[in-house]
Formats: sequence, C-alpha cells, structure tokens
Amino acid sequence: MTNPLMHQRYFEDVTVGEELPSVAYPLTVYRMVMAAGATRDFNSIHHNTEYAQSTGAKEMYANTSFLLGTWERCVRDWIGPAGTIRSIRGFRMRAFNYVGDTVRVSATVTGTRVEDEVGVVELTIRSENSSGVSVGPGTVEVTLPRRGEEQE
Amino acid sequence: MSGGMQTEDWKAEWQPVVDAVGRDFSDGETVFGADPVERGAIRRYLEPLEFDCALHTDPAVARAAGFADVTMPYTGVLTWTIPPLWQPGEVLFDSDDRNAQPVRSPINNQDMPLGPKTTGFFGTDIDIDFIRPVVAGERIGRRGRRLVSCVPKETSVGRGAFLTWESDVVTETGEVVARIRIGTYAYVPKNKTEASDD
Repeated sequence: MTNPLMHQRYFEDVTVGEELPSVAYPLTVYRMVMAAGATRDFNSIHHNTEYAQSTGAKEMYANTSFLLGTWERCVRDWIGPAGTIRSIRGFRMRAFNYVGDTVRVSATVTGTRVEDEVGVVELTIRSENSSGVSVGPGTVEVTLPRRGEEQE
Repeated sequence: MSGGMQTEDWKAEWQPVVDAVGRDFSDGETVFGADPVERGAIRRYLEPLEFDCALHTDPAVARAAGFADVTMPYTGVLTWTIPPLWQPGEVLFDSDDRNAQPVRSPINNQDMPLGPKTTGFFGTDIDIDFIRPVVAGERIGRRGRRLVSCVPKETSVGRGAFLTWESDVVTETGEVVARIRIGTYAYVPKNKTEASDD
C-alpha cells in the first residue's frame, strides 16, 4: 500500500530551517538479518554477535547500505515522488549502530536555490543512537518540482 | 602493549598501499552486479526500511512519472553492484565451524594485492553523486577502482588503514548513472579483551 502521507512537496513550500519528520529504526536481530539479505551485505559483523565481537565490536551492527537507505527513506518521505536526489555527501559513520538500539534519522533544510530553473534544496542530515550522532552529519541535495511547471 | 619500534613496523607494512594512492586497481574491468535490477529484489530492499514510495513498487506510477518500470532506490547502487557470491562449480563453505567465513567474499579486503592481510573490515564513509535513477531491467556495475587515499591508523578495534576508493556506476551500455567515493577500514582485530567501545 502506498504511503497515504506521502504527498508532493513543491519548491515554493520549503523554508530554510524547516525540519523534516524524523524516522526511527529499532535495530532488532530480525531487522538486521532482513537487511543483510536485502542488501546482499552478508558480512558476519552485521548478523552474528560472536563474530562481531571477535572483530573488536561490542555487538553486531547495522550495515552501510541499510544505513544509507534510512537516509533515503527519510528524504523521500519528505520530497515526494516527483523529487529527485542529486547527491549524498558526508555519510560518515562515527559510531557503530548496534543491535538492541534505535537509530533515528533527522534532517533540516539548510539551503534553497534555483539552478537552471530547477528548484534545488540542500538538507543537512544525521543519524543518532543512544550514544549520540552515529552517522553524519552529511548533506543531501535534492530537487523539487516548482509550482506551475506542470502547466508549462 | 606496543613499543615505538613495533608501531613503526605495523605502519610500514601499509607503505606499499600508501605508495599506490592514485592507482586504478580495476585493470579496466567493470564489475557488474550479480543480477539486473528486479522488482522483487527492490521490494526486498524496501522491507527492512519500511520504505513506502510507489516509484519503487508500482509500475503504473513509475510509468506515469516517465520511467519504463519501477525505479531502484538511489542508495541501491551499492547492493546492485555486488557481484555473485557464488558461481557454479565453486565451493563457498568448507568448514562447519559456527562462525566460519565463506571461502571468498566480495565484501572485505581479500582482493587487495598489497599491504598486510586483514580480517576486520567495515565501511566508514560514502559520497555519491546520482546522475539519473536506475530502472528495473537495467544491470549496473562499478567501473574503475581508484585508490584515493590510505591512512594507517590504530583504532579501538584494531590496527589497520582507512582506504578511500572511487568508482563510476555504469549500465551495460557504459552510461554513467552515479559516481561513488567510498571509505573503508581494513584492520587486524585486537584481542577482545583489548577492544573498547569508542
């Protein structure tokens, strides 16, 4: 079922400083095993506590593709289907996102501009868990449709 | 506990890698993902994320948006460029030890021809420029594997090096759909008792 809350956001609706709805992802073993299969990242550090501990970690921890996906979902929920993602920068993992914790993705509008008649929005985005910021802060550059474009 | 001389010794093992910064380790080969982007695989990618966007699930919506089929989530450029984990005729599992690793894996530092042998490996940072969305039916791969930096460093989990790599993500026709710069940490794990959480 398509997300009924997902509606199309337009460039003209955006204000600098605006916060995107944050998204929380509880990290259970079940979810992390699903993520390993879905992303094809079967490195045992992401689904095997004993193995992860043998590599120096406290527990198994979320994989890179899954964490990238958490950023994309947070952004897509906000930009709507007609938005596009141009780039992700500063996706830097600062702390492991361990099983048994919750990682929450939050983002803020930090810039807007019109570039070649395209509405461009810069978002500053981060992931946080119980130890603080675990990924980022980075930036995601997106485009949004401009009102009246569809009549042109 | 390590003395100064030992510290220099372990860092010196990484010098051939440091010296190779700028080299393209791909030898001109494009490494394609195991399968084309498929609707079912996209659905499975969305599930653990609870990621609900009709562009990725509803062909009619995707077509109305100008695409030939559903689109791959942008961040799928990593997943859909992973080569096959197993090929016919190969033995992948040769031990019944509980935590035994497969004979080979594309997700580690095994294929690095230079530097010390490492068993610990994880991603550290990523920058991606997306040129256009990838559509179901397309197959993508990574062209080029240029080493951008190598910084030996001891961390809480072990001794190793932060490595940064650059690749283009291309379709089978050679069209560039994304550019990736990915950082990894390849290391020799400390004994468990030495490791800390920070």
